[in-house]
Amino acid sequence: MNQVCADVEALSVLIAEDGAADRLLLATIVRKQGHQVLTAENGEQAVALFAERRPHVVLLDAMMPVMDGFEAARQIKALAGEALVPIIFLTSLSEEQALVRCLEAGGDDFLAKPYSPVILAAKIKAMDRLRRLQATVLEQRDQIARHHNHLLNEQRVAKAVFDQVAHAGCLSAPNIRYLQSPYALFNGDLLLAAYTPAGDMHVLLGDFTGHGLPAAVGAMPLAEVFYGMTAKGYGLAETLREMNAKLKRILPVDMFCCALLLNLSFQRRVVEVWNGGMPDGYLLPASGGEPQPLVSRHLPLGILAPEQFDDTTEVLPLALGERLFLLSDGVVDTSDENDQLFGVERLRRVLAANRQPALLFEEVLQALDGFRGRSRDDVSLLDIEVVEPQLLSPPPVIYSDSGQSSPLDWSLQFEFRADTLKRFNPLPYLLQLLQEIHGLRAQSGALHSVLTELYSNALEHGVLGLDSALKRDARSFASYYQMRNERLQALSEGFIRVHLRVEPGPRGGRLIIEVEDSGKGFNVSKVLARPVSEQGLCGRGLNLIRRLSRRAEWVDEGRRACVEFAWEALA
Amino acid sequence: MSEIHIDRKVLSDLQEVMEDGYLQLLETFLADSEIRLSQLHGAKNADELAHAAHSFKGSSSNMGAVALAELCRQLEDRVNHGPLQGIEDLINQIDREYAAVRGLYCDERQRVSIG
Amino acid sequence: MAVESVVSQDGKKLTIKVKGRFDFGKHQEFRNAYEHKPARPDSVVVDLKEATYLDSSALGMLLLLRDHAGGDESDVRVVNASSDVRKILAISNFDKLFDIS
Repeated sequence: MNQVCADVEALSVLIAEDGAADRLLLATIVRKQGHQVLTAENGEQAVALFAERRPHVVLLDAMMPVMDGFEAARQIKALAGEALVPIIFLTSLSEEQALVRCLEAGGDDFLAKPYSPVILAAKIKAMDRLRRLQATVLEQRDQIARHHNHLLNEQRVAKAVFDQVAHAGCLSAPNIRYLQSPYALFNGDLLLAAYTPAGDMHVLLGDFTGHGLPAAVGAMPLAEVFYGMTAKGYGLAETLREMNAKLKRILPVDMFCCALLLNLSFQRRVVEVWNGGMPDGYLLPASGGEPQPLVSRHLPLGILAPEQFDDTTEVLPLALGERLFLLSDGVVDTSDENDQLFGVERLRRVLAANRQPALLFEEVLQALDGFRGRSRDDVSLLDIEVVEPQLLSPPPVIYSDSGQSSPLDWSLQFEFRADTLKRFNPLPYLLQLLQEIHGLRAQSGALHSVLTELYSNALEHGVLGLDSALKRDARSFASYYQMRNERLQALSEGFIRVHLRVEPGPRGGRLIIEVEDSGKGFNVSKVLARPVSEQGLCGRGLNLIRRLSRRAEWVDEGRRACVEFAWEALA
Repeated sequence: MSEIHIDRKVLSDLQEVMEDGYLQLLETFLADSEIRLSQLHGAKNADELAHAAHSFKGSSSNMGAVALAELCRQLEDRVNHGPLQGIEDLINQIDREYAAVRGLYCDERQRVSIG
Repeated sequence: MAVESVVSQDGKKLTIKVKGRFDFGKHQEFRNAYEHKPARPDSVVVDLKEATYLDSSALGMLLLLRDHAGGDESDVRVVNASSDVRKILAISNFDKLFDIS
C-alpha cells in the first residue's frame, strides 16, 4: 500500500513506540504520507521531544518502559494547554477497560496492531481536522475578546466626554437625592439638572431608545442644549422646542428620547412640568398621603417636526416640605420569574406608606428586591425637596471677558406686540445685555428673578388680563395656567414695553428698568397692603421685586413698573 | 507448514510500504525479537513477563507472524488471568515457533538482498 | 412566522400581524413586511392581537413604518392591542400619531 497524500498538509508527527521494528514500520508509513516524523522510545523521551518540537499529532504506544503511554499522554496534554494535540494510542489492548483507560488518559483515538496504513492515514487526517478546528475557535475567541475590550474602551472614552458636557449640573444641591447606575448613560438613561440664572432649577430625566453608544451619542447634543439654554435663562418651553428640533434633525426616524422636565422655582413655589413618554413622576405631600402623579401627556422628544411640537406645560403650586419624586421605567418594568410586572400600584403603595423621606429610596429598592429577588442596575431615582431658596447656593456666573470696560451710560427700549408675545421670550436677550454691566454681576441672580417676575406679571395680569387672585389655591391654579395658554394662543393685540436705562453715579451707577403693559392695571396700594402670609401663591411677586431691588414702584395705575438696581464702582 | 507461520500477504504489503527500507525492517525485527525472547526468559515477576509477551505479540503481528503472535497473546492472558500452571510450556512453544519463523525471515532477507 | 403581512385584493390595504414579543428581534421581519412592495398601499393596519409585549424598539419600528407610509399623510392603524400593550402606547402618547383600537 503506497499512498502519497498530495492534498494533505505536511504535519509533524511524534511516534513513541518501544519496539524498534514497530517504530521503524510506523515511521516509514507516516513519512510516506507526506509528514515529518519524530521518534521516541519511551514515554519520558516522548514528553521531552513534545516540549521541544511541539508536533501536531502524537502516536503513543500504551505500554512503554520508563514512563508508560498513559502518563506521557497526561503530561503532553498538560503541556499543550488550550491547544488541541490529538493523541492516537497504539495498542493491541483489547479489553474494554484498557481502552477506557486510554480515553481517560487523554487519548483521542486508537490504532490497533497490526498497523493498517490506510486506517492510520484516515485517522491522522481526521485528527488534524479537529486540531485545526480548535485552533480556529481559540483564535476567534481571542479576536472577540480584543474587540470587546476595544468597545469597552470606546464606551469609557464616550462617557468621559459626556461627563465633561454634563459637569455643570446641580445634582449636588442639598435638597436633591438621586440614584443612578454608573452605566445609565449606556442604558439610555439621562439625568440632568441645572440652575437658571434666576436661581430656579431645570431638571430632566430621560430615556433614549436603544442601548450603548447610539443612546449615548444622542444624549450629548441634548445635554448641550439643556445646559446651554438653561444657563442663558431660557424657559422650559423654548428649551424643549430646541431639544426636540435638534433630536428630530439628527436622530434616525426610529430613535427618540422619552423625557420628563421640571422647572422648579423655589422663590415662587411653583413647578412647571412636561412629560413626554416617561412613567408618572410624583408630587409627594409634605406629611404623607396620596401622591399626585405627573402624567405623560406628550410624545417623546425627536418625533414631531418643530411645527407640530407641543411645548405646553402643566404648572403646579408647591408647598414647603413637598417633594418631587421621579423614576425611570426600570422600576415599574421590573418583572419576576412569572413575567409579572412590579407595576404602578405596588409603587404607589410604597410611596404612600413611606414615613421618613430619607428612607424612600431604600424602601423602593427593597420592594423591588423582594419582588424580583435580584436587583436591576438600570433604575434611576430622583427626589427633590421644596425648600427655602436661601438654602440653595447657585454658583456664580463665570464671565468670559476681563471685567474692565463696561458701557455705563445708555438706554434701550423694546416693544413686544401680540404675535411676538405668543412665541418669543425676550428675557434671555435682555439678560445678555445686562451682563455687560460689570458692576451688576454680583446681583445677577436678583436681576434675573426681578425681570422674570416683571415680565410674567406684565404678560399674564396685564396683557392677558388674568386675575392673580385665581392662583389662590391648588385647584384653581391648574385652571389659571390653562386659561393662560388659551388666552395667549388667542392673543391678537396688546404690547409690553421694556425700557432699560443705565446711568453712571458718583460712586458707581444705576440701572432703571421700566416694564409697561397694555392691560387694565390694578390697585397697587391694595395689593401691596396685603400681609405677606395672606398673599399666598399670588401677589408674592411684588414683594419679591421690592426685596431684591433697591427701589420698586408701580405707576400709571399699575400698568408700569419702575425698578432700580444700583452698584458701587469696583475697586 | 510455513504458510501458517507467516502471512505472506502481510510481508508483501510490508515490502510495498517499506520499499528500500524493507531489508532494514527485517533485520530490526530479528534483532528486536532476540531481545524480547531474553526478556521472556529473564522476567523476574508477572508484570515483566506480561509486558514482554505483550510487546512481542505486537511486533510479531505487525510482521505477519500470526502463530507467534497468537502464542504471545495466550501467554499474556495466562499471566494476567491465570492459570499460571504450565506457563513454562507456553514459553517453550514460543521459542520453537520463533525458531521456525526466524528461518523464514532469514530466507526472506536473503531473497531481498539478492533480488 | 412571527410577522405576517397580507395585502388586500385591490392592493390598497396592507395588514401586518405581529405575534409574540414585539421587540428588537423582530426588526428585520417587520421591515420586510412593508418594504419592497410593488405599490405603496393607501392604508396600513398593524394587528397586535397575538402580540404579548411591546418595547421601545417596537415603538421605533412603528415610527419607521409610518414614515415609509407617508409620514403625516399616512393612514396607519394599530388594532386589537391588549390592555398591557395599550398602556405602553398610551404612556408614549402614540395615539397622537396612530389610530389605536
